[in-house]
Amino acid sequence: MIDQLLLGFATALEPQNLLFILLGVLLGQIVGALPGLGPSAGMALLLPLTFGLEPVTAVMMLAGIMYGGQYGGTLTSVLIAVPGEASGVMTAVDGNAMARQGRAGAALSISAIGSFLAGIGAVTAVALLAPPLASFGLKFNAPEYFLLALLGVLAIGSLGGSPIKSLAAAVLGLMIALIGVDPLTGTPRLSFDQPLLMKGIDFIPVVIGVFGIAEVLASLERIESVKPIRTRLRDMWLTSNDWAVCRLSIVRGGVIGLFVGIMPGAGASIASLLAYLTERKFSRSPETFGKGAIDGVAAAESANNAASHGAAIPMLSLGIPGSASTAILLAALILHGIRPGPQLMTQESALVWGLIASMFVGNVFLLILNLPLAPVFAALLRIPYVYLAPSILGISLVGAYAATLDISTVWMSLVFGLLGYAMIKFGIPRPPLVLALVLASLMETSLRQALLLSFGSPMIFLERPISALLLCAVALAIVLPVLTAIRQRRFAERMKRGAR
Amino acid sequence: MRLVEAIPALFMLVLAGIIVFGTAGLNHWDGITPGARFFPTILAIAGSAVALVLLWAQWRGFESVILHFPTREAAFRVGTTVAALVALAVFTPLVGFIPALAAFMAVMLLAILRQRPLPSLAATVIVSGFVKLVFIHWLSVPLPMPLGF
Repeated sequence: MIDQLLLGFATALEPQNLLFILLGVLLGQIVGALPGLGPSAGMALLLPLTFGLEPVTAVMMLAGIMYGGQYGGTLTSVLIAVPGEASGVMTAVDGNAMARQGRAGAALSISAIGSFLAGIGAVTAVALLAPPLASFGLKFNAPEYFLLALLGVLAIGSLGGSPIKSLAAAVLGLMIALIGVDPLTGTPRLSFDQPLLMKGIDFIPVVIGVFGIAEVLASLERIESVKPIRTRLRDMWLTSNDWAVCRLSIVRGGVIGLFVGIMPGAGASIASLLAYLTERKFSRSPETFGKGAIDGVAAAESANNAASHGAAIPMLSLGIPGSASTAILLAALILHGIRPGPQLMTQESALVWGLIASMFVGNVFLLILNLPLAPVFAALLRIPYVYLAPSILGISLVGAYAATLDISTVWMSLVFGLLGYAMIKFGIPRPPLVLALVLASLMETSLRQALLLSFGSPMIFLERPISALLLCAVALAIVLPVLTAIRQRRFAERMKRGAR
Repeated sequence: MRLVEAIPALFMLVLAGIIVFGTAGLNHWDGITPGARFFPTILAIAGSAVALVLLWAQWRGFESVILHFPTREAAFRVGTTVAALVALAVFTPLVGFIPALAAFMAVMLLAILRQRPLPSLAATVIVSGFVKLVFIHWLSVPLPMPLGF
């Protein structure tokens, strides 16, 4: 294996391949930074650029766009609270809160470093553990996926603020996802014979509306008092305390991201959410989560980068894409005349190991590009907000249109902008809605497939060992917040009685 | 508890009703397979339950509701911005994205946010130019251009 990896490095370090890896990372970062366009949309848009290239060079460039785009989304998440993909939602919450506190540079720096370390760790794992890890991922079937998604939705309730309101927002997100067609039978559902609704509600207009437009509308209320965010050079660097807080967050986020990324269909969004929630449990100051927790940003960013690399494991070893981005990578292989599947690692070993080595190289490029540039990106926040606000609104709507080439997406973004604005006014948290929307399809499909496998018997969730374990976790996720709320209420009553 | 505070819970109940009504023609089960109405029904029940718990918690005072409604001036600013966004969406297919975006930027900065003309026009040109350069020329996104630009 070492020989093959060295051969891969020899391929990746050829001048032409190096150039295209750098180009891919750069283009990915630029496209990922445009609101509404995440890594997968960026890869799809830029796929034609690779048509004239050698297959190995094309795949290296596309992979560069994939992880470059992941980091590009971090820029918009931190600077203007508009995540490019669902995996950036947690970064949009805490990273943007950090930016508002004048720590945009630190948020971008920890994102770059966390992404780099987790990315390198994940690529090492891809190289070392591809076959055994892929077989573990395959043990997950419909019951486990359903419970994993349910656990994600229930855990959203503990994101901070009111658990009931968080759960209400999550259920609202699941309800929105029902619109369109039934994912298993293709029957129109809740579309009321409207062609616009039959296509279903895409993630992009929801995220642009609920985060981008709603946030700008709310800030327009007090635009006189919104001062440009001052970003001083010394605020860019991480303090020793930041390091102490984030060290293990990066490790935990990276490990979670890798394992979730390996499971086909789970993806970077579930990885970043799970890593964020796990970090909140480990954090010495969980109350800062949602208000600018640097360890939350570190965990979420490490997880989503590790997941995007981890998704390459089932893609390379079995030909099963673990995410939308790896699906496009797989499509590129087919377009270049390469048959994906278990035989890929033996028949095209130069390509596979070249790709793995290129991921090491690409992550180094990303770090070199982003650490010195963090102050430049953060300096964007010095532009007076009164000029930024209409620019964000306009570019977001262009991004919404570009994602689907349909003006209805622009209308959808506006509707969800108003919904997000109302949610801000009523104190309903917005991240649960977006995350539930992402999890909804996985949740419904796997629940129905699980019941189909068991001929309608819910016992399937207890009979499978991993599923039974997950069911216990779900039960705990329901019972613990209730017990905590009762305990807090009793404590408050006791305090009140004591004060009298 | 004021009626306005109950709006989110009532909204959830209405949505649950729409889901039940909107999926009336679909099956809960197709033989041994859960049908297209199976998951929506579960969600309608879950949504109603969460809404009722929220109403109960607000009524008993367990859930604090702090409503920050805008001042008249701020509400006017938000309202006119929404109107400008709607106009952008309406005019885009008619005049194209770049002219509609430029008009939106100019109206926002000059009329709604009352900024100085020169920086406002500069910002309008920069943002429109950025969109044209990146989306049309670089990414080749076919933005609507009925007037040719």
